[in-house]
Amino acid sequence: MQDVIEMHLKLLFDLDNLIADMEEPSYKKIGFKIEDEASLELIRKRNQLLKKLPQELAQRYEILKKRYRQAIAPVESEFCLGCFQKLPTELLTRSKDIITCPNCGRILYWREKS
Amino acid sequence: MNLASLLSKDRVNLSLKPGKKDDVIKDLVYSIKKGTDAEVIVSTLLKREELGSTGIGKGIAIPHCRSLVVEKLEIAVGRTSKPISFNSIDKKPVSLIFLIIAPPQDPGNQYLITLGKIVQIAKEITKKNLIQQAKTPEEFIALINDIEKGLTKRK
Repeated sequence: MQDVIEMHLKLLFDLDNLIADMEEPSYKKIGFKIEDEASLELIRKRNQLLKKLPQELAQRYEILKKRYRQAIAPVESEFCLGCFQKLPTELLTRSKDIITCPNCGRILYWREKS
Repeated sequence: MNLASLLSKDRVNLSLKPGKKDDVIKDLVYSIKKGTDAEVIVSTLLKREELGSTGIGKGIAIPHCRSLVVEKLEIAVGRTSKPISFNSIDKKPVSLIFLIIAPPQDPGNQYLITLGKIVQIAKEITKKNLIQQAKTPEEFIALINDIEKGLTKRK
């Protein structure tokens, strides 16, 4: 179950970044054509994905997104890449649970090693 | 940042298997990531394609997105032996594909700068009819380097 939630979270986050990029003037300048109807459909799909998350997590995601633009922060070399604060030792082992940064509150994400 | 320096020969596949657009994108993604990470990237790229094809015309496509699962800008290039349908803006099939995945945190907006640069280089490739020019990945990277230098001189 946790894996499914994590997958939905990652997809939601990537879609939110996609939507944000589409609105960037420097992206528009590059010249890719974006269909208006498809943009609305993307927002609908993003909202559907949000509904698949447990309610409390979905609400937290939305609050964080509003506050920081990006609700999730990767963890790198013991640091939260959202606020660049060192994480407490007890958080450094990747856990199956959804964990938030004790400093900024962003949802933390440990990347898979490729 | 120099584009050629972001390319590595093991990420340049000049004999990419032709197929459906989704499958070709998937093949390129799997040269960068595997497992559920690759699934997340493929899903986001296909959602991006639904917004409007990244086939920029004259045989070239540049699928792109940001993804939480990558920690640095990743580029893969594929050239298919037969052109494939990509719903490009000029409706013509595609045989050269630049795939770009960027991390969400991106100091200096490297992603959009690189994307813009690839579009410029792609236009040069089509203008000079160079899609089939390189025979090896090393030649391809050298070609990109030459085009990039030419563009820099022109500025």
